[in-house]
Amino acid sequence: MTTEAHGGDIVRLIDIRKTYITGDLRVPVLKGINATVSRGEFVGFIGTSGSGKSTLLNILGMLDVPTAGEYFLEDVEVGQLSDVEQATIRNRKIGFIFQSFNLFAYLSVEQNIEVPMLYARIPGRIRRKRALELARRVGLGHRLGHRPTQLSGGECQRIAIARALSNQPAFILADEPTGNLDEKTSNEIMELFHELNREQGVTIVMVTHNPALGPHYDKIIRLRDGRIDDTPFEWEVRGTPK
Amino acid sequence: MIAMLAISEGAKRSALAQIEAMGIDRIIVFSKRPSLTGKSESSNSASMIERYGLTQRDRSHIERMDNVDQVIGLFDVRKKILKGLTRTNLKLIGCDINFLNESPAFLEKGRWFTPADFKNNVPVCVIGKNVRREMFELGDTNVVGEMLRVDDKVYRIIGIINNPYESQYPEIGGQNDMILIPQTTGRAFYKDYAFYREGRSSKIIRVEFDLFLVKVNDTAYIDNTAKRLSGYLEKTHGEIADWGMVVPFELLKQQEQTQNIFTIVMGSIAGISLIVGGIGIMNIMLASVFERRKEIGTRRALGAQKSDILLQFLIETVFLTSLGGVIGIAVGVGIARTITYYSGMPTVYSWWSIGLSLVISSLVGVIFGTYPAYQAAQQNPITVLRSE
Ligand SMILES: Nc1ncnc2c1ncn2[C@@H]1O[C@H](COP(=O)(O)OP(=O)(O)O)[C@@H](O)[C@H]1O
Ligand SMILES: [Mg+2]
Repeated sequence: MTTEAHGGDIVRLIDIRKTYITGDLRVPVLKGINATVSRGEFVGFIGTSGSGKSTLLNILGMLDVPTAGEYFLEDVEVGQLSDVEQATIRNRKIGFIFQSFNLFAYLSVEQNIEVPMLYARIPGRIRRKRALELARRVGLGHRLGHRPTQLSGGECQRIAIARALSNQPAFILADEPTGNLDEKTSNEIMELFHELNREQGVTIVMVTHNPALGPHYDKIIRLRDGRIDDTPFEWEVRGTPK
Repeated sequence: MIAMLAISEGAKRSALAQIEAMGIDRIIVFSKRPSLTGKSESSNSASMIERYGLTQRDRSHIERMDNVDQVIGLFDVRKKILKGLTRTNLKLIGCDINFLNESPAFLEKGRWFTPADFKNNVPVCVIGKNVRREMFELGDTNVVGEMLRVDDKVYRIIGIINNPYESQYPEIGGQNDMILIPQTTGRAFYKDYAFYREGRSSKIIRVEFDLFLVKVNDTAYIDNTAKRLSGYLEKTHGEIADWGMVVPFELLKQQEQTQNIFTIVMGSIAGISLIVGGIGIMNIMLASVFERRKEIGTRRALGAQKSDILLQFLIETVFLTSLGGVIGIAVGVGIARTITYYSGMPTVYSWWSIGLSLVISSLVGVIFGTYPAYQAAQQNPITVLRSE
């Protein structure tokens, strides 16, 4: 892969490095990551626990800043942006999905889906309409009035997905989205991601330690020891048996 | 706090009303019996007449003073008023024709004296409302026109007056306990003499006037007028302290001052409790920020600006303290009402004080909520998201 600009590239990472400094200790976690994500792609970062996946994902989500390297989001170097601009981009362009769902227990399902739209200052009428549409799309149109505590894990993650989609982001960032789910539910959620990717063209960047999810992705990027692992497995086509 | 304010306001209003009822545009000068200690003449059999107090001469002089509009004189006939055989605390008072106009009392029934009553020394009287209660039976509703016997004289009652403030004059008491007769009638019947029995020896007391209501033209100079007045009396009455003076306007000012101190003290107590409460709220909110750091991180990940987080926590704190304010107001009004209900002590809770309490309680929220809200906004999203 080259680092040259591609028209379809949503994300370009150029020699991203991250070193944590705790006291006298320097812990290099990312040691020069180069990668791109194109529009409509379903990309999986796979790596063992502690390999720096979450760190990379946080950098992609502009929650963390790299020690060195450049990150282009739709050809904008995000390192140059102010806090306010970064929060705005996070709000409009990125949909976050967490391992433990991170829904707000004191809000209804509908209100949870509306939160990103609230920060985008979208009028209430449109918010409610879109929340209903999204809830239907993830198959939970009838649960709008419920509280997250009344839902199963799989249902919670569906709501979190609906929430991530509410501002029609450029891409979705998912950190171990099936990590807290059993195998059956996990497959259902992965199937939902597929549908969204295939039918709505949603770009998805997912991080997991679980190599069994490999077959789901258009592109797999293996992380090992803070670097991209260029083994022959790097390109795997969805559906190919492992 | 509302309760405190209500009580203090209530106390203030009733005290001020009492003083104001005496009239802030006047000086009250009264006669008082000098203490007998060290007075050898009193034991002297030759001076069986004890003479003291304000005189007609004083009156004429005062009337001619600057800034004095008019002087209304009262004198106590010093007759024991009996109901059957029991002595009452009612007083038979000779008064000037303007007395009613220049007092807080109003005519409840009948009529006031006419100039003709004064001119012809007519034996008529106007009674205070307590006189009716004490001297007549309950069933006697209409006593106007009836006769009232005092000692060997009989007066026809022509009116009843009522002083709703129950204000008291020095030495001679409240109007509601007075049987008023025209000054001239009193002088004609009793002169200025009162027979006074003290133990075995009886003596004659001579007091020309018991009270002057000195009405001034301009309240702004009432201090000065009072000073000149007392200067004059000191000079003419010499050593003998047989008179006293009250300036309601001064009392009013003093009363307001003490009230202000009271209010300041109450305010300080309220202020301290507000600060203590505010710090409590601040701690609660800081704990809440810590507890909800995952929520804060998530909101930031979903695109909340720092200012959105700040505002969220600030609004929550203000909501909390305003709710506290509303509860406080409800409790305060409740306490004030209970006090009024059980003790009859007047309490005043104004919309003003309620509104102020609300404003203050939300202000406490803003002041003590800012720091926790700032803390919430400054949370690092990655560390708080990792802290699961
Ligand atoms: N704030 C930090 N300070 C120091 N070390 C950190 C910090 N955050 C993460 N790390 C370290 O970085 C490495 C990668 O962490 P992470 O990105 O969470 O890995 P993964 O998500 O792949 O399990 C881990 O060894 C972790 O201990
Ligand atoms: Mg991780």
